[in-house]
Amino acid sequence: MLVSSGTTTESVWFQFFYCDMEESEDVPKDFIKLKSEKLSVDEVSELVVSPYCGAVSLFIGTTRNNFEGKKVIHLEYEAYTSMAETEIKKICRDVRQKWPSVKHIAVHHRLGVVPITEASVIIAVSSPHRAESLEAVMYCINTLKASVPIWKKEIYEDEYSWKENKECFWANSEK
Amino acid sequence: MCQPLASYWLGHTHHVKLAGLRCETLSVPREITSLQLWEEIVKVHPRLALIRDQVVFAVRQEYVLLGDQLLVLQPGDEVAIIPPISGG
Repeated sequence: MLVSSGTTTESVWFQFFYCDMEESEDVPKDFIKLKSEKLSVDEVSELVVSPYCGAVSLFIGTTRNNFEGKKVIHLEYEAYTSMAETEIKKICRDVRQKWPSVKHIAVHHRLGVVPITEASVIIAVSSPHRAESLEAVMYCINTLKASVPIWKKEIYEDEYSWKENKECFWANSEK
Repeated sequence: MCQPLASYWLGHTHHVKLAGLRCETLSVPREITSLQLWEEIVKVHPRLALIRDQVVFAVRQEYVLLGDQLLVLQPGDEVAIIPPISGG
């Protein structure tokens, strides 16, 4: 809203913008990290907590110890890192379009060796009411599995296998 | 007119073994379809033909399917060969 009373349009706009920045310290933020260290649920949820939000929803992807009867020793993750971050940013942008009340989004994915039962991915979303953050978290993990260039290798006792998500948008699900 | 790409990059180490490399520079026409680009790469690394049905390109970090899409490449552009993903 602009008030004309002898001031120029530019200076009124500047004042309006400046006041808005001072009052709004809880600007919606995306926290995206790919790292080789152990992920922390506490750290990720604290990133998205907000006094304006009554809900924080979380997804934790952990590593199972078996696949088709074979014992999994550990997992190894690789990424096309720069593009993975870009694709996760796109997911965050899409979340905000679909659920405008979402406040903060955090996506942490581990790279390198991930031991069994440890988290490979943690996603946290905050929103004023629970429906939006619950739906947004589900959307984030489903879309991540379809489009973010990260690869998982399962290490068994005698061999290893590069996995392929059924969600991968270009791969045939029937081979 | 041919100009070098910065690199093409193979999705993960499995395919490094197929092609014997991770990353190299290739000279291609400035305007080229994604399928033609694939064929140029396979000329240099024939064993990559084995994975043709499983991969997509990422050109300047945007996904491009192998097909008729016309690419306009600048010197230094990075093209990645992306095998099926398994993050999350």
